[in-house]
Amino acid sequence: MKKFVTLIFVQLYWIQIIAAQGEAVDFLRSTGKIYSVVVVVAVIFIGIIIFLFRLDRKLTKLENHIKNE
Amino acid sequence: MKGWWWKILGAVIFLYVIIGGLTIPLKSGVTHSHPGSAKGGETLKLSISTYNTHFLSAKNNRAWLKFDSTHAIKSKNIQLRSDNTIDVSFSIPKAFPVTEKTRSLTLILDNEIDGAFVQPNAIFITASDTMSALKGEWENAEMQNFNNVKGIRFPYRNILNETIRNTFFHVALWFAMFVLLIAGLYHSVQYLRTGDFDHDIQSASFNKVAIMYGVLGLITGSVWAKFTWNTFWTTDVKLNMTAVAMLIYLAYLILRGSSTDHDKRAKLSASYSIFAFLALIPLVFVIPRLTDSLHPGNGGNPALGGEDLDNTLRLFFYPSIIAFILLGTWMSSLMTRYERLKEKIFISS
Repeated sequence: MKKFVTLIFVQLYWIQIIAAQGEAVDFLRSTGKIYSVVVVVAVIFIGIIIFLFRLDRKLTKLENHIKNE
Repeated sequence: MKGWWWKILGAVIFLYVIIGGLTIPLKSGVTHSHPGSAKGGETLKLSISTYNTHFLSAKNNRAWLKFDSTHAIKSKNIQLRSDNTIDVSFSIPKAFPVTEKTRSLTLILDNEIDGAFVQPNAIFITASDTMSALKGEWENAEMQNFNNVKGIRFPYRNILNETIRNTFFHVALWFAMFVLLIAGLYHSVQYLRTGDFDHDIQSASFNKVAIMYGVLGLITGSVWAKFTWNTFWTTDVKLNMTAVAMLIYLAYLILRGSSTDHDKRAKLSASYSIFAFLALIPLVFVIPRLTDSLHPGNGGNPALGGEDLDNTLRLFFYPSIIAFILLGTWMSSLMTRYERLKEKIFISS
């Protein structure tokens, strides 16, 4: 959980850095802000991937537990 | 393939939404026009910038300034500068068709490729003759035979522009979150009624996926806000109340993680999730509607109401909600199966 929260903050920080650079913002606003929609889709995708990673890790722990018995 | 069909269905619908939702073009619209005001009796040259138009390839470009449904003036001369910029001249009559001093007129543009599109309140006209009404010059504008745009196009809305597509992602995510939370609520109630631990597991899985959706909804909204309002967060009621609701649900996760006693944890979290859901309804649905909000759909901003959610958007918006619900149910069922296994192993060991 702690790692997960850290990960979210790292992501937000990263977006902040991108946003702080004027050119990147202008690019994301070009063509009717279509690229901000792309960012939104990417965020959802990353979120689902993080979910899968966490579940995978939990399952690995369970597998190891069964093995050690 | 038994038991798989709805997972595949969810993935296929999601793919349909991503591909269709990102590739179908927007309708044409006016981004801005200059100048913003003019006087009666003079010749007005309006420089108009538009989005997604094809003025150069269109054969029959037409323009009007509309007073009301029967009164308008037709453009005198149209100069094409590029596909998305155009100069239109109007000779404005000295007086309005009714005795009035000032009025803002609607700009209508039309050609056979882009169809007809409007910019309400495009220009503010002050009449030079305010004592009389001039009907004649306003009546022969030939405002008819408008073209319709071919194929499926999403509506153009000022400010939103292409981000109207976020309806399929950001908005659908919240709708799906609600459905998953209701599923979680159902299992919480069932647990309290029957005391069956399986309901506790299912309720927790649904709630966890729903919370993930909620967090993603906040992040995606924040990203959109950065490029529309130039800030990640404002002190807007809708934003703050949703954040409060999400915090209540985050406390649910902490509550579940804090207690090691199985029975106590299940009972506590079941009753807490009922409380949290009951708190969510006024926080998200009621309070933001009591005051003004910047968020689309509130305070007169475009979103899900009336003309804004038109049939082309519905073509992707509803499937998107279904896709998110199916994918969410899939994820929560994975979680449920993991928890059941864990339960079994730890009880047997």
